[in-house]
Amino acid sequence: MNAVFPTPDATESQRLLSPDELEAALRDIGARRYHILHPFHRLLHDGKLSKDQVRAWALNRYYYQAMIPVKDAAVLARMTDASLRRIWRQRIVDHDGDHPGDGGIERWLKLAEGVGFDRDYVLSTRGILSATKFSVEAYVHFVAEKSLLEAIASSLTEMFSPTIISERVAGMLKNYDFITKDTLAYFDKRLTQAPRDADFALDYVKTHATTPELQRQAMAALTFKCNVLWTQLDALYFAYVAPGLIPPDAWTPGTGLVAEAPGAPAATGVRKMAAEDKPRLPRGVRLRHDETRGKYVLLAPERTFDLDDNAVAVLKLVDGARSVAAIADELGRTYAADPRAIEADILVMLDGLAEKRVLER
Amino acid sequence: MNALTPNRPDVPAPVGLLAELTHRCPLRCPYCSNPLELDRRSGELDTATWQRVLTEASGLGILHVHLSGGEPTARNDIVEITKTCADLGLYSNLITSGVGGALGKLQALYDVGLDHVQLSVQGVDAQNAEKIGGLKNAQPQKFAFAAKVVELGLPLTLNSVIHRGNIHEVEGFIDLAVTMGAKRLEVAHTQYYGWAYVNRAALMPDKAQVDASIRIVEAARERLKGQLVIDLVVPDYYAKYPKACAGGWGRKLMNVTPQGKVLPCHAAETIPGLEFWHVTDHSLGEIWRDSPAFTAYRGTDWMQEPCRSCDRREKDWGGCRCQALALAGDAAATDPACSLSPLHAKVRALAVEEAAETPPDYVYRTIGSNVRSPFQEDVNP
Repeated sequence: MNAVFPTPDATESQRLLSPDELEAALRDIGARRYHILHPFHRLLHDGKLSKDQVRAWALNRYYYQAMIPVKDAAVLARMTDASLRRIWRQRIVDHDGDHPGDGGIERWLKLAEGVGFDRDYVLSTRGILSATKFSVEAYVHFVAEKSLLEAIASSLTEMFSPTIISERVAGMLKNYDFITKDTLAYFDKRLTQAPRDADFALDYVKTHATTPELQRQAMAALTFKCNVLWTQLDALYFAYVAPGLIPPDAWTPGTGLVAEAPGAPAATGVRKMAAEDKPRLPRGVRLRHDETRGKYVLLAPERTFDLDDNAVAVLKLVDGARSVAAIADELGRTYAADPRAIEADILVMLDGLAEKRVLER
Repeated sequence: MNALTPNRPDVPAPVGLLAELTHRCPLRCPYCSNPLELDRRSGELDTATWQRVLTEASGLGILHVHLSGGEPTARNDIVEITKTCADLGLYSNLITSGVGGALGKLQALYDVGLDHVQLSVQGVDAQNAEKIGGLKNAQPQKFAFAAKVVELGLPLTLNSVIHRGNIHEVEGFIDLAVTMGAKRLEVAHTQYYGWAYVNRAALMPDKAQVDASIRIVEAARERLKGQLVIDLVVPDYYAKYPKACAGGWGRKLMNVTPQGKVLPCHAAETIPGLEFWHVTDHSLGEIWRDSPAFTAYRGTDWMQEPCRSCDRREKDWGGCRCQALALAGDAAATDPACSLSPLHAKVRALAVEEAAETPPDYVYRTIGSNVRSPFQEDVNP
């Protein structure tokens, strides 16, 4: 076993590390073992995966997401200190949400739906690779059985996640036309949640790993967690990339999906407008001055939009060349107002028009 | 030229012109909104007259021109007429069946500045669609036409008129619109005037089918937000309140027939005793302000109870005059589609009864037929 997954830094852990040395050692584990380095992730981020391979990833990863609150509840159950629990329970709230339709699991479901899955199929977990399940369940068992220090240390992969998330979001938006920013909403939240969670966990580990043995345990726990993530990608690679051996009962492309209209274009219109987008009025939508009524109107297929002065000022600048940010800057200068506040307002207005299909970008 | 005259400050300027360029059409849909007595080609307005009408419309404050028919592309001057719209800044909307000469004229229409295309689809399944439209091989022509519209970058709206012969295909219409790349879909339950009134028993769906179709549309609206806009017109006979016909009589819309008669709505000729003026005798502005047909039911003065004292009288403007005449025998009565009408229950029962029976064969629309409305006496008091 040790030959494959050697315990990290056995010699280093012979002596007591300072808290900062411990942090450096933990970060080093991530630098060498975090799943961002896995070939499957490289393929994912570089746009080299087929739509079905991305689907396999989204489906399997759902199992991990869905079990995270179970894992955190197991950690919580071991905490005898109310102040610790108050902090840790936030993770469960983040994932489960405060009400149906809210939370990280829900956002992951949206991602799975965004790549074409039928929601109920994903929820059923039927098509998930056994290796994914074994790996995720090993994590749940680990935190229930090991010490609290090890349980908390195992969560420290969150220290590395902002890097992977920003790389993933940028790469996926750039490389896959079936992925929209809305689909990836899960990661927006995690960008802020993960560092907050990691800060606390890191402090806890640095404070409580007070002997060489405890420090070794903490590093081993983080290594274990890296392996939990890594083996999930091994399994995905084996089943869906090469050699492409899909185990019996696991998801096969073409199943579990919402029926797609043949030749349907990707749902490109559903993404929210962003500051860098350059909106334009498509053919068949015209801003016109209505002499009879003495005002501007937006003429569109079988309807006319009445516009207030603000909307007119914005639409006069909508030309397919200016970005939303540039329009806001220009209006900010004209009206001596904060361009970023204007930008927030125009984004809402432009999204409303885009939703009605009278504005494109 | 100003739409408002000093003595009629209460008359708002019209916003839309429905230009029925011709009644000729390759399709024979049994719910056609054209009158039973169709205008013949020999009586159609010439190009110059249409151009004058459009110029007057623009001066009057009209913004949208709906180039309709029949099949508007059956006219040889459709490109010239569309160009006139563009030159005047009028928003041009081609309401077409997409068959016959439509595809051949599309590029030229695009080049002169056509703004939007509304394409009718009778069904999703080709055989069903062609049975309803009464024309073989119509479906492939429509699909080719839609593809060209989207390829040119023109906005496309699909219009599906819903009735018992295709209400099972509502989901299919939605998929079709997405597949074709349409931006809008109209799921319009049949309005029972003209030919649809004649064919009512063959067309009327039952309440459960109507409810199911509404649920399908509502779910799709949510699912396709930002991708496809779906407009839903619910069937009058099952409604709670009537629709404001044409946005209110003489408030928004003018309808010019192929021969140049100007109507407040396309079915207004079914009301006996109304005097319609003609574009060759009067300017569009005079007709809008002063013609007896337009002043007859404009505003609220003509209303009877329960409309007269109703809070909704300036929302739905009493509903549809033509339907009031057809179902209540009095064009000034409350539209029986309204749940507040004393005749509403009877109308609804009639719909339920007809929907429960085996549908009769369609009476297809034809020029020069002697079809009379068989239901005229049904619920008249």
